[in-house]
Amino acid sequence: MIQLFNVSKSFGGEAAAVKDLTLQIPKGDFVYVTGASGAGKTTFLRMLYLAEKPTRGQILINNQNITRFRSHQIPYLRRKIGVVFQDFKLLQSRTVFENVAFALEAQGKKRYEVSKKVYQALKEVGLEHRMQRKPLELSGGEQQRIAIARALVVDPLILLADEPSGNLDQDVTQDIMELFKTANARGTTVLLATHDHSLNRRFPRRVITLDKGQLVADQQPHQS
Amino acid sequence: MLDNVRYFIRRALRNMRQWPLLCTAAILTMAVALATVATFFLVVVNIEQLAQSWTKEIQVIAYLETALPQRDIAETVKKLKLIPEVATVDYVSQEDALQRFRQRLGEDASLLEGISRDLLPASFELGLRPEFRHQQGVEKVVRQLESSIDIEDMRYGQSWLERFNAFVDMLRFVGMVLGGFLLFAALFIVSNTIKLTLYARRDELEIMALVGATMRFIKVPFLLEGAIQGVLGGLLSLVFLSIVFKLVIERSLQSFWLTPTDFQLLFLTSSQQLALVAGGMLLGLLGSLTSLRKFVRI
Repeated sequence: MIQLFNVSKSFGGEAAAVKDLTLQIPKGDFVYVTGASGAGKTTFLRMLYLAEKPTRGQILINNQNITRFRSHQIPYLRRKIGVVFQDFKLLQSRTVFENVAFALEAQGKKRYEVSKKVYQALKEVGLEHRMQRKPLELSGGEQQRIAIARALVVDPLILLADEPSGNLDQDVTQDIMELFKTANARGTTVLLATHDHSLNRRFPRRVITLDKGQLVADQQPHQS
Repeated sequence: MLDNVRYFIRRALRNMRQWPLLCTAAILTMAVALATVATFFLVVVNIEQLAQSWTKEIQVIAYLETALPQRDIAETVKKLKLIPEVATVDYVSQEDALQRFRQRLGEDASLLEGISRDLLPASFELGLRPEFRHQQGVEKVVRQLESSIDIEDMRYGQSWLERFNAFVDMLRFVGMVLGGFLLFAALFIVSNTIKLTLYARRDELEIMALVGATMRFIKVPFLLEGAIQGVLGGLLSLVFLSIVFKLVIERSLQSFWLTPTDFQLLFLTSSQQLALVAGGMLLGLLGSLTSLRKFVRI
């Protein structure tokens, strides 16, 4: 369960990127976060894994007030959250296997456990035959699937995706959405920031709309 | 715990393999920085050693008011030898002094004919132990001499000693200032090189923080990498210095000395060599630590 109470975030003297946001996202929900560029989608997601701290308000994840977390507690929060970006954020000098293993190694998992889980995660995204390749040798869609495997390999409670299909064509986007749906079906809460309304038409889910940092609409699938 | 240590070492070595150019740049920078500091240290140490070799000439000559009777000489020599700073005591009788003077005049020695043999005073020539061959040591000897025998005059190269002291003091001061400056410059250059190597890998640092790596987990392999690079840089500078010292400097100096000399160039002692390598390790560690602070944010 994710709960936000009057959350605001401003950078320096500029207008608030997120303003007075209050909402609840139950465990296992699938939510689109939409809005124009600069509406505050990315800032909203970044606050959930504490890449940004809110200027005001409280954020609770599983009843823990993460806004009060000290910096040494943040890594443990992030181990429960998988994040996927538009630009993938893969290590180009590492192989596909090493990129996914990285997330487990960072959590101090044992070697044999890492190998097993990485293979499993890559199989799920259909890339087990590309394990020893470097990311740049693969297509954009495949790179995004590596990033998703890295996010899911740790069995996260929450999956945050910031414009994950921004650089991808329709077919690849479809594949990626299937992966998110599978993860969601297993109980992972999914928050997907996008300005692509066609996604919601093809996979109708709850939609939160932001405008200039404020929540302007919160629609359930049957309403859209 | 052991698993972690093994993992950190493995990752540090893997990082170095994956970024060979950055790693080589860091090692070479540290090697050059350390070799510069060590060369400067060797120059200062050798100049000081050369200066110390000049102090062998330091002696105190006490001219006596009246020549001592033969029977008192041995006893006085014995008494003077009890002065802790004194190593050798020679009695120069009036005849000896005249003889020396005659020798020094060479062909003009005939000028001394008919001159009484008690023209020149008898004297004691006191050589000092090596550790007391400085102004304070000489002054101590002079004070003790004045209180123990009747002296007409004393010579101990006062003005030379003062200039020599000023020279050694200046050498040490300049050595410390320049050495400190060099060390600071080395730290600055090394830290900036490491910063550049980390800048090239900032994605890795960012992703590590993103997937929930703790601060310790992110930093330790980089610190280890810095330390390993520092040790390698230290060893490389040592090899470079040894080669230059043995093959170039020592050989060229041998042909430089026109007369045989007992002056031996000093190289780093084994503990100083160890300190150089340990210094490299410290330099690598400090460089990484200061740079990491800039790049790792959770």
